[in-house]
Amino acid sequence: MVQNEQAAVLNPVQQKAGLGMTARDDFTPLVQSHQQRIYRVLLGMVRDPDAAQTLTQECFLKAYQKRASFRGEATVGVWLLKIAVNLARDHRRSRLREFWHRLSSSSEEVADLGQRLPDPHASPERVLLGCEEVAGVWSAVEKLSPQQRAVFILRFVEEMSLEEIAEATSLKVGTVKTHLFRAVHAVRQRLKGGRAGE
Amino acid sequence: MNNHLSDDQITEWVLGTRDEFVRRHLETCDACSREAEGLRRTISSFRDSIHATAQRDQSFWRNQQLAIREQVPGRDWYPLHWAWAVAMVMVLIAAVFLTRPPNSPRNNATEDADKVLLQEVQRDLGREVPQALAPAVLIAEERDEILTNKVIRQTETTLKKRR
Repeated sequence: MVQNEQAAVLNPVQQKAGLGMTARDDFTPLVQSHQQRIYRVLLGMVRDPDAAQTLTQECFLKAYQKRASFRGEATVGVWLLKIAVNLARDHRRSRLREFWHRLSSSSEEVADLGQRLPDPHASPERVLLGCEEVAGVWSAVEKLSPQQRAVFILRFVEEMSLEEIAEATSLKVGTVKTHLFRAVHAVRQRLKGGRAGE
Repeated sequence: MNNHLSDDQITEWVLGTRDEFVRRHLETCDACSREAEGLRRTISSFRDSIHATAQRDQSFWRNQQLAIREQVPGRDWYPLHWAWAVAMVMVLIAAVFLTRPPNSPRNNATEDADKVLLQEVQRDLGREVPQALAPAVLIAEERDEILTNKVIRQTETTLKKRR
C-alpha cells in the first residue's frame, strides 16, 4: 500500500514507458511486450523453468510496485531486466533453496536443457557433439558467480550492448568487460576440459 | 608454426575485440581459427538452446499474464484520491450545516428557560448556605443567641454577688 502510494506521481517519462497505469488492465500490454525476454533471461540465470516462471511474475509485480522509481535513463526493457537480474541473484542466494535445487537437480536436467538444439537437420554425430558442448556451457555457466552469469547471459543470449548490460546489472562498463572476459574464459576452460576427457 | 594465439587473445576475439594481429593470425593458422570458431559456435548453440527452451505456447504466456494480473492490485488509492475524498466529506459536512433550518420560536422559548435555570443555579451557588439548610441555620443562630444571653446573665449575676 505504501509502495503504491509512493508510486502516485509518475513523470512523463514513466508515462511514456507504459508505466502510467493505475489499474491492472493497463499493465497487461507491458507484460505482453516483455514477458518472453524476462522469462528467457531468468531461465538462463536459474536454470529451472518453474522458478523462472515464478520469478517472471515477481519481476512484473515488483515493476508495478516500483514504477515511480523508473527514471528513463535506460529503456523500460533494460529496467525490467535489472529487476529480473536482482531477483535471480536473490533466488540463488537462498541457501535452503539452493540445497533443494541441488538435491532435485540432476545431470538429467542439464542434459534436458542441452538437448534442445534448434537444428534438426544436423547429423546425429553433430547433434550429439553439439548437445555435449551446450551441456558443458550450461554447466560452466552454473559455476559462474551471479554477476558473471548475468553478464554472460545478457551478452550472448540477449545480445545486449556493454552499456545496456552495465545498466541492467548496476555495474560499470569496465567491470562488465572484466566479468564477461572471465565468464568466457571459464566456459572455454570447461569445454577444453571436456574435450581432453574424451 | 608454434606461436599460437593465447587463451586471452581468443577470448577477446570471441568477445568482439578486433585486433589486426589476431585477425591475420586467424587467417593463416587453422588450429587457432578452429579454436575461435568452435568457441563462437558453441556459445551460439547455447544461445539457441535457451531460446528453444524458453519457447512456450500461447497458453503459457496467457496464463502468466493472468497470474500477474491477479497479483497486481485492481486500483491504487493515491494520495490525490484521498485528498479528493476528504474534500468531498468536508463539502458534505458544510452542506449539512448550511442547509440546516433556522431556529424555531419553540427553540427560543427553550433557550429562555435554560437562561432562567442557569441564573437560578448561579444564585444558588452564590449563597453561603444552600436553600434547603436555611431553617437549620436559623435554629442554630437562635440557639447561639440564647446561649450568649445566658452567659451574659450568669456573668452579671456573678458580678453582683461579688459586689
